[in-house]
Amino acid sequence: MCCSTGVCGPDVDPDLAQFSALLNRLGAGGIAVERYGLGQQPMAFVQNPKVKALLETEGAEALPLIFWDGEIVLKGKYPDAVERARWMQAAGVAT
Amino acid sequence: MIFPAFAAGRTDWTRYLFFTGKGGVGKTSLSCATALRLAESGRRVLLVSTDPASNLDEVLGIALSNTPTAVPGMSGLAALNIDPEEAARAYRERVIGPMRGILPEAALRSMEEGLSGSCTVEIAAFDEFTGLIGNPEAGKNFDHIVFDTAPTGHTLRLMSLAKAWDQFLDENTSGASCLGPLAGLEKQRGIYSAAVETLADKNLTTLVLVSRPQAASLREAERTSRELCELGVANQMLVVNGVFVARSPGDALATALQRRGDAALKQASGFLGSLPVTTVALRPRNILGIEGLRSIFEEPGCIESLQSGETWTPPEFGNMDDLIADLSASNRGVIMTMGKGGVGKTTIAASIAVALAERGHAVHLSTTDPAAHVAEALAGEVPGLTVSRIDPAAETEAYRRHVLSTAGATMDEASRALLEEDLRSPCTEEIAVFCAFAHEVAKGKEKFVVLDTAPTGHTLLLLDATESYQRELNRQARSTQPEEVLRLLDRLRDPEFTSILLVTLPEATPVHEASALQDDLRRAQIEPFGWIINQSLYESGSSDPLLRQREETEHRYLREVAEHLARRVALIRWQADEPVGVPALLALLHETSPTFT
Repeated sequence: MCCSTGVCGPDVDPDLAQFSALLNRLGAGGIAVERYGLGQQPMAFVQNPKVKALLETEGAEALPLIFWDGEIVLKGKYPDAVERARWMQAAGVAT
Repeated sequence: MIFPAFAAGRTDWTRYLFFTGKGGVGKTSLSCATALRLAESGRRVLLVSTDPASNLDEVLGIALSNTPTAVPGMSGLAALNIDPEEAARAYRERVIGPMRGILPEAALRSMEEGLSGSCTVEIAAFDEFTGLIGNPEAGKNFDHIVFDTAPTGHTLRLMSLAKAWDQFLDENTSGASCLGPLAGLEKQRGIYSAAVETLADKNLTTLVLVSRPQAASLREAERTSRELCELGVANQMLVVNGVFVARSPGDALATALQRRGDAALKQASGFLGSLPVTTVALRPRNILGIEGLRSIFEEPGCIESLQSGETWTPPEFGNMDDLIADLSASNRGVIMTMGKGGVGKTTIAASIAVALAERGHAVHLSTTDPAAHVAEALAGEVPGLTVSRIDPAAETEAYRRHVLSTAGATMDEASRALLEEDLRSPCTEEIAVFCAFAHEVAKGKEKFVVLDTAPTGHTLLLLDATESYQRELNRQARSTQPEEVLRLLDRLRDPEFTSILLVTLPEATPVHEASALQDDLRRAQIEPFGWIINQSLYESGSSDPLLRQREETEHRYLREVAEHLARRVALIRWQADEPVGVPALLALLHETSPTFT
């Protein structure tokens, strides 16, 4: 796949595409969100020791990695509908 | 319809000239010859080529690079050549290189995969020369800049988004997929917007659409014309390249060739009435060297006598009957015709399907060419033969709707707009057609499936890369991929299941494109079954002087294919008319002289 929305793959992962919308809403709700792409900001992956260690032990399959307040909350997959809703609630952002 | 001859030396050309058209229409020859003509008339001209298979170095007698090099002996002319694949490779290396030894191997591979799409290639190439248009300083030593290529609609739309990038990329680091590969490009974003404005300014830019006097080629030019017009590139003109006038009255082949061209132009009269049209006559030979480029706009009234310089020993060719007998040995499997547009893939696929059905096999024939009316070509039912069509536009639309109604359903407006733009990328159609293609291939388990279009080597490599992604999905027990997609690559790699036929004309560009395709296939571990050289004038017996010269010109390509490229090769003679109906399709396969065996 060459696109982060996944439309260039033979199968679109709806969770991946929805993930963008989730981040936008969290951002709009006042939550500080940062997203790094391996192709765009590779240094971010090197500079975070936890990320770097996981890439070394588990390879690219550890991605995506999602941190909340510095702790890993999801590894190797994008949040599904249930997780998205839970995070929105936890962040106090209206769905 | 009579159109004036293309006036390369006109004095009112705009500063920027873009030549566009499908491969093989002659845009490189025309852009070079135009640049040469302008330089000869005293203008300072920069010629920009993006053709990776360009023989421009050879023609101009210099080694070109991605910076302007003065052409020796041709005062006022400089040229530069950008290889899009090389531009993309260089871009990937700039991003990935610094990470080597820092990031683990798997992460590097993942980065590389993300930067390998067709969008990256197109955009990296455009980035290389956008500065020439968007930055007034860059081309200030030239009166004209002539490009042998033009941006596609997708690239133009992305460029148009440039103004919004600064803000967009700062605030929204999510979702920017096609913009993703762009984000790291070094050119100033302001230059992109300036480039878009320049392209839309009719006093600065002319878009020269190049077409052959053939129906499919003219339709393609019309589509490009409309798309770029909608994006503001309104100063357009059309050059019909390769117009043929028979010189030997009574020569059946020459008469038919002229008639076919006339009919195509007549059919496209609506489009031709919508913009200025000029023509360039069919050349008796390939355009080679500065002299060749100078002669391109002259009437080929005075045909040189045939040169009997080197003795020509025809290489060994197989015939179509033997080829079909070998294909027929099993009772099932997939046969695909691949090659550049306009080489006759559909007709040959239909002929093979009919021949197999005649031998008593169950056969399914399918095409992705929207212009190919396979059913009409058959003109009737053939026992044992079924026909279907993959419509790329319909498949793409269905795919778009599926994605927007599922993944895009709950997105906010901005994310959705970006998703929609991604869905307009060339990748989307490739993928949509690809899924339909996988479905057709799976039918080869029970019968013969003959397909006139196959995914490009690039798609297959992408699929290969996708296998690791797929394994991950399986690990998560979320496999939504149908069996037909999962098994596709294995099936294509299995020579017992799949036979790929590379189709070419005996001309430089189609041969070189088919050769590149063969390399791509081999990289994806797929070995082509054989080559078919279509529409050969070899031993045509035509008395037309121009056609006889062209026949002689074929020799080196017949030899190149037979001796260097193909494991086995069959040759089909030039047909005066499109073969329609079962007898004509079967006859086509016998237009392959036994003297070749």
